[in-house]
Amino acid sequence: MRNQGFNWHDPILWAQGLGVSVGVFAASMILGSLIGIFIALCRVYKVPVVAPLLLVISEFLKNSPVLVQLFLVFFGVPVLLQVNITPAEAAIFTLTGNTAAFIAVIAISAMDALDRGQLEAARSFGHSERSILRKIIAPQALVVAMPALIGLAVNQLQVTSLISAIGVIDLTKVGQILNQRTWQPFIVWAIIGVTYFVLSRVLAMAGGRIENRLRRHMDWAGL
Amino acid sequence: MIEIDQLHKKFGDTEVLKGISLTIAPGEVVSILGASGSGKSTLMRCMNGLAGLNGGSLLIDGLDVSKPRELREIRKRCATVFQHFNLYPHLSVLENITLAPIDVLGRKKAEVEAEAFALLKQVGLADRADAYPGQLSGGQKQRIGICRALAMQPRYLLLDEVTSALDPEMTGEVLDVLAALARSGTTMIFVTHEIAFAREISSRIVFLDDGVVRADMPTDRFFAEDGGYGDERIARFLAKMRNK
Ligand SMILES: Nc1ncnc2c1ncn2[C@@H]1O[C@H](COP(=O)(O)OP(=O)(O)OP(=O)(O)O)[C@@H](O)[C@H]1O
Ligand SMILES: [Mg+2]
Repeated sequence: MRNQGFNWHDPILWAQGLGVSVGVFAASMILGSLIGIFIALCRVYKVPVVAPLLLVISEFLKNSPVLVQLFLVFFGVPVLLQVNITPAEAAIFTLTGNTAAFIAVIAISAMDALDRGQLEAARSFGHSERSILRKIIAPQALVVAMPALIGLAVNQLQVTSLISAIGVIDLTKVGQILNQRTWQPFIVWAIIGVTYFVLSRVLAMAGGRIENRLRRHMDWAGL
Repeated sequence: MIEIDQLHKKFGDTEVLKGISLTIAPGEVVSILGASGSGKSTLMRCMNGLAGLNGGSLLIDGLDVSKPRELREIRKRCATVFQHFNLYPHLSVLENITLAPIDVLGRKKAEVEAEAFALLKQVGLADRADAYPGQLSGGQKQRIGICRALAMQPRYLLLDEVTSALDPEMTGEVLDVLAALARSGTTMIFVTHEIAFAREISSRIVFLDDGVVRADMPTDRFFAEDGGYGDERIARFLAKMRNK
């Protein structure tokens, strides 16, 4: 299997790895956002027991290496709960938790940044908490949070490369496979690196677009 | 009718309102005066449910502010104008004004917008409907704050020092709007340090002193030598305000 050179199948392998990386990234980003927002709301509305508990968990997730978290979930959970878990499941589970922890922090500080007076005004006019959240808090908090969210997304995309360590065949794993077979590390890792780079740029640009669009309405909001 | 009976309010261990009793009938324009820290804002915040009570009762049209379901109804009838405007910065002027009537009262957007334009015209800001609060001067913001409150067609209008964050030139434009309102028969409860203005527009003055009602009388009586002026604390307060 040494020095076999590239073949026609390699682009397909690359595309599959890309698909897995993007898939894990998207799944963990979406699920993580939902859970992170939930944590933030528990915290902001001071839900007893749940809020502090979730906060402890999210502190752990923020302050320990993702690779360690992956190992803990992939090797630890099957032993602890006597269940089988595929590498991909472990990867999505771990990255979702990790993303949620960061989203929660971003969401909490974005909501804290809003002026309390307008919330009192909204309450005094009889808006329900739900509609205050939807119509007053969320749109403003989103604008405030946008730069941090873009930064997080780009970072989490890079973090997905760690899932190759538990055997998920993502873009990085594909790089390892091709590298071992072809012994062309400079070519292989350059291609893999450029792929991540392009993905990150696309993400950042798309995020920037959305941010600009949101801001256009709010240039005068003083946010 | 606003009926406040033996209202007590504490923050921690300090009692800020020490048994306030007050009845305000529809159509009255009542000014609440008093030194800084006497509890005026706290009383207003109790009326719109932003602060809870620690004792006594506060009924508006027979509805109890301390019962959440009744408070919801009270808030449809009582609108507040805030010292620092508290407009929604991400919404246009028009949206600021129409949000509550649509969302809380469930009224039709087109109808509410038409009324909002009429209100904007009344306060001389018809051309700023699409502006955002950040584009407006303080006086303009406060006029929008007033429109926002009036769009709820409230029976009671609560105003807490609505001009004290404004420059003198802008104070005038807001006071003009309020004077017109007072003449129109809206029930207004009005905390202010603008003594001359209070004297001009209100039918009755309530003077708070350290959490209690020190005086509650018709405006003429309050400013008469043998009325409110006869009370040395009130006289001292008025003298101090005049020298500002
Ligand atoms: N949220 C709060 N927590 C603790 N103390 C408070 C709070 N709100 C008001 N107080 C205190 O209650 C007292 C009355 O305050 P309030 O704001 O009602 O006075 P005020 O008459 O409106 O004064 P001003 O003319 O300065 O606006 C003050 O001593 C104030 O420090
Ligand atoms: Mg005050």
